Amino acid sequence: MFEKLETYLEEISHFLSGRKEREEILSEIRSHILEKTEQEFGEATEASLDKVIAAYGPARRVAEKYLDGRPIIAPAFKRYLFRYTALLFAFHFVFTVAAVVFKKSFLMFPLVYVPSMGPFEALFYLPTAFLFDLGTVTLVLYLITQSKKHVKLPWPRFSVDIDEVKTSGRTIGRTIGLVAMTALTGTALYFYIRYQTIFFVNLDFAQHRPIFTPEAGQWYSLILIGLWALSAISLAFKLVMSSPWVDAVEKALSLVLLGLAFRQPFDTALAVHLPVHLPEGLVRWINISFTFTLLVICIFVAVDLIKALVRIGRRRLAK
Amino acid sequence: MDPETSHFETEMNRGFLHILVLAMLEKDMYGYSMVRTIRDLGYEVEENTLYPLLRRLEKNGWVKSKWDVSEDRPRKFYGITAAGRGLRTELLSIWKKQDQILKHILEEISHV
Repeated sequence: MFEKLETYLEEISHFLSGRKEREEILSEIRSHILEKTEQEFGEATEASLDKVIAAYGPARRVAEKYLDGRPIIAPAFKRYLFRYTALLFAFHFVFTVAAVVFKKSFLMFPLVYVPSMGPFEALFYLPTAFLFDLGTVTLVLYLITQSKKHVKLPWPRFSVDIDEVKTSGRTIGRTIGLVAMTALTGTALYFYIRYQTIFFVNLDFAQHRPIFTPEAGQWYSLILIGLWALSAISLAFKLVMSSPWVDAVEKALSLVLLGLAFRQPFDTALAVHLPVHLPEGLVRWINISFTFTLLVICIFVAVDLIKALVRIGRRRLAK
Repeated sequence: MDPETSHFETEMNRGFLHILVLAMLEKDMYGYSMVRTIRDLGYEVEENTLYPLLRRLEKNGWVKSKWDVSEDRPRKFYGITAAGRGLRTELLSIWKKQDQILKHILEEISHV
């Protein structure tokens, strides 16, 4: 028994754990090392064995030569790992924002469960959600890889480019947009400061008639001014930089603002008294339509947010 | 040898070693004697590459092995199988074809 040889074989054995032919492999290596030592050094001693072992290579490298199994995730699926994780996490992110704003729990069985939480809890929840998403996608891709089946996974594009092409037309469009949104935000702010609302029934400002009650008027006005201001700031940023984070932050904040709109009950918000009494059913339908319209806008903004997050994920992958 | 060339050499060796081993094993040999024979021919093969290669060839039925325990120290002898001979013939014909193509191209280059 040579201590050094046994220690070396023990190390190799550790890296070959789970291989049924492990003992056979170790016997082959032992036989070879002893043979070589005797042939080249006359007899096997701890010192001569040390040299032959060193020439044979580090235990881990030797073991890896025997481990020619299938990779955990096939090379063809590696890009899917990042894209699918980005997609899944984008959903998680959007639902987390919604859970914080609406104070509600969301369940999309079996992948997404987002409990109602505060902003501070969300900061802890999101990293855990990301790890869950990464683990879920890894597990699915692992199972597909191991199944050895020819699986063609969908490759969602969403018309998302890693780097958007900067054209002069786009720059002009953004400049016009920035000027328009800044003017709109400024004008709205002026009206808000003067009348505490930006929603009017008539254009006679000497005897102005607001659409909403003072409380609701202030609430909706601030939300709309906030959305326009966000859009102006985002356009300004996009003129000087092309980071997808600009879109992501803008859409996330827009979602928060839109969510705040739901906090003001619409059925008691109207200050306008109509000349005819509307039937109860019609009022209810107007309320539902308002809520539905807001929801549709929220969905569009959420889709844009997901696109921005996917673009961020892809950009990191490209790097 | 710079790392780039060394990387390509490793890639080329992978195929070459298969043919070489299948050619050598017409006569039963044990691992260390194969290493020595190859080295005497002026070619270096990493020992920790040869054994896993022999194992893979055996797993696929192209090589067979048996332990000889008649001496103090047991030795594992390897030999080629009928399937291994078939594979060797095919690999050699591929290699010859590649060699012909290369020779042809190199000849053309030399005339330019």
